Amino acid sequence: MVNPKVSTCFFLSFLMISFFIQGCSAIDQSVADESLVNAENVLASAYVAVAEAENAGVNISEFLVRLEVAGKLLADANNTYRIGDYDKAYLYAINCSDTVSRIVFEALILKSEAEELYSRNLFLAGAFSSFSLSVLLVLGLFGWRFFKNRYLKRVLGMKPEVRKS
Amino acid sequence: MNLGNLKFFYAFSCFCLGLLLLSPTLAIIIKLPEPERFSQIWILGSDHTTENYPYNVRANEAYRVYVNVRNHMGGLEYYMVYVKFRNQTEPLPNATARIASPLPPLYEYRFLLEHGQSFEAPLTFSFRGISFFNGYCFVENVTVNDLEFGIDKLVLWNVNSTSYESQFFFELWMFNAESRTFEYQNMFVTMWLNMTG
Repeated sequence: MVNPKVSTCFFLSFLMISFFIQGCSAIDQSVADESLVNAENVLASAYVAVAEAENAGVNISEFLVRLEVAGKLLADANNTYRIGDYDKAYLYAINCSDTVSRIVFEALILKSEAEELYSRNLFLAGAFSSFSLSVLLVLGLFGWRFFKNRYLKRVLGMKPEVRKS
Repeated sequence: MNLGNLKFFYAFSCFCLGLLLLSPTLAIIIKLPEPERFSQIWILGSDHTTENYPYNVRANEAYRVYVNVRNHMGGLEYYMVYVKFRNQTEPLPNATARIASPLPPLYEYRFLLEHGQSFEAPLTFSFRGISFFNGYCFVENVTVNDLEFGIDKLVLWNVNSTSYESQFFFELWMFNAESRTFEYQNMFVTMWLNMTG
């Protein structure tokens, strides 16, 4: 048999601890709102930067892993926010922001490198094509004179064929 | 071969050689026509097939389906799937006006997919607080992937199908990098449920 005094004391302690834990950890709805909006913006910026980097020819597989994790965290943040768990929503949102915070910077660097490489390749290919076309044009003209002269020499060197009527 | 033919043959050979020399530059500059761009969304039953979808559901029993999305948009895309729940009288998305349902989402998935990639995620759901009275069914709560949402949904008795039919539906949204907002893609899939007790 449990002593009623002990059980009352235990119950009161439990109530007090619950109250203080709630008071210490409760995140205001507006704070959770702000963190969600911030996470949304950070992830959107990261996505745009990575998509642009991909268009520039960057291998984005490493970014994609982090973006997927961040997307899941943001979805979790929104889902927990909907059930009114602002503490968890805030934590998920902050984690999301942290996960992708450096992606924009890194993607921009890789994108500019890829664009530089593209420009260099285009310049080299253009220079090669221009030079080789010029050479082809000059050689083509000389070549045509050579072929023409050879052809005419061969034709003029032929004897007329005599046929019986 | 006469001189005219030789001239033509020589000019044609030079032209082909010129194209060959230009090809490295052309390969960088010319973009080939892109194939049709589209996305797909579908749901699978508990065994990853198009069978065994839950229909007759009871309170406090868990059911599972799989949400799938595939990207054929030609590049990296940022998707969101809204999971919504409705009774027979509440609106579905308007396919003609290309407008999403005004119902608030219960749950969402967010993910990024490269061209040709697919996404699959489980949706485990159960209902709590189902009560019946005078041709109505009242559903208090639905749990989706371990998160319990209060829905307080009144489901009417459907005389034609002789059931209390309600519906989960899944809307596909995609992020538009220019407007920096999610846009509804006018694509959704539905799953009918019959509340049985």
